[in-house]
Amino acid sequence: MKAKPIKKIVIISILGSALMVSLALNGCKASQVISNKTGAQLWSENCQRCHNTPSPNSFSREQWETIGLHMQSRSLITDEERNKIVAFLKQ
Amino acid sequence: MRTIEIPIKYLIFVLGFLVSAKIAKAQQTTIVDSALLERVSALEQQIADQKPGESHFMVAGLATFGFVANTTTTTTGGISQKAKSNSFPDVDHFEFSPLFLWRHGSKFLLEFEPSFDGTSVGVNWADVSYFVAPGLILRAGYLVTPFGTYSKRLAAGWIDKLPTDPTGVADYPSTTDFGVEAEGGFPLGSMKWNYDVSLTNGLQLLPDGELQSAGAVDNNKNKTITGRLGLLPISNSSLEIGVSGMFGTVGDVNSPNENAKSQSYAADLNYVKLFNPVLINIKGQYNYTFVNNQNYINPANGAEYTFDNKTTSGFVQASIRPTGAGKAFVKNLELAFRYGKYVTPENSLWGQKSNIIDISLDYWITWRTVFKIGYQSDKSTSTAIENSGDVTKSESLFIQFAIQL
Repeated sequence: MKAKPIKKIVIISILGSALMVSLALNGCKASQVISNKTGAQLWSENCQRCHNTPSPNSFSREQWETIGLHMQSRSLITDEERNKIVAFLKQ
Repeated sequence: MRTIEIPIKYLIFVLGFLVSAKIAKAQQTTIVDSALLERVSALEQQIADQKPGESHFMVAGLATFGFVANTTTTTTGGISQKAKSNSFPDVDHFEFSPLFLWRHGSKFLLEFEPSFDGTSVGVNWADVSYFVAPGLILRAGYLVTPFGTYSKRLAAGWIDKLPTDPTGVADYPSTTDFGVEAEGGFPLGSMKWNYDVSLTNGLQLLPDGELQSAGAVDNNKNKTITGRLGLLPISNSSLEIGVSGMFGTVGDVNSPNENAKSQSYAADLNYVKLFNPVLINIKGQYNYTFVNNQNYINPANGAEYTFDNKTTSGFVQASIRPTGAGKAFVKNLELAFRYGKYVTPENSLWGQKSNIIDISLDYWITWRTVFKIGYQSDKSTSTAIENSGDVTKSESLFIQFAIQL
């Protein structure tokens, strides 16, 4: 009887994983509106989800590259968003 | 005849002067050009010497410092006792945590954050991340488990709008563990979604029924899986909702609780939007942890006892900041409010129901430097097996300075 919740969890996990893989392979495309967003726009929208928007002058270009990776691993922004935001902050 | 000789002499003089001047100027230009070339050559050498390479090391992190004045009234059997204290600061509200970041090219990132809390030095996390492909980051080491969002994104003093962490959310169930992790974010039309899954040593059930992190050496052969799915349904990323789960065997191998399993669930919400001239920030998280039926040992008398081993905790938080105000002083102010609830197992040794209210007025000196004045009211009623009904009321005043390094 105790195994039932675990079975449910395993089934849900498998279905969830299948959905994620399916979305990743087939459906995960950004709309034109999203693709056209600039680095400045993405910077203002995403950084403030957790903290104040940082000044581009706060760090050097090399440092922004490193911080970009660290922040992506925390906020789980997409690669395209990270690249655009870092490019904006390096200006 | 005389009229012809004078111009010739004059011309010879003028020509001689011009030739001399030209020679002098040419010498000067040559000298200047030579100095310029030497300078350019030196700069080129400097640039060659400072070739950046593919690795980069830097230090970031955070520090918080503050003052707390507290009054606690404890009522037991109708008799109240009051205690006052103040300190500069107490251990829960001081932190110096440099974050060391090593980047190898664009694919690897090593993170190490030691932390001094006023009494000891610990480690917040120490891991290595591999950015495999768009939407896939792999991580291994001592990592922050993906359960809710508070611990992974909001706990830093320069990010948290209030001087304190929400009770029972920031540290329960254990927020860091040894293991591996996969995570990533994807676009979904005009929306976005993200995932985060870890496999770690997991939690350990103590004989009295408490849960703690198993640590570097697992207490059983079973690993704990933790995962979170997040969705950002609005194209401007202003709203994120997430659900999390953590499942694993928690009993020590070859112990009476060997088959004990825990299940934890969390839901989180984050909404940040500018309604000019005010920035609205709403956050919340709800945690639920349950351990299946077990018998426990009371360490005070060695007697066996049992209880419904479930713990719930949560908070909702709102803050407003007039970012569009004309005066710099006004737009750097932020007012934050948080309500928290923390309910530990009834009839356990540590059972209690707590309601916590926090309010704080913040002044942002820079985007990553903040000064907070906060007040906290915490009313806890014991539901523990030995002192059920006791009431503890605590009021605290906090003054806190927090900075990102």
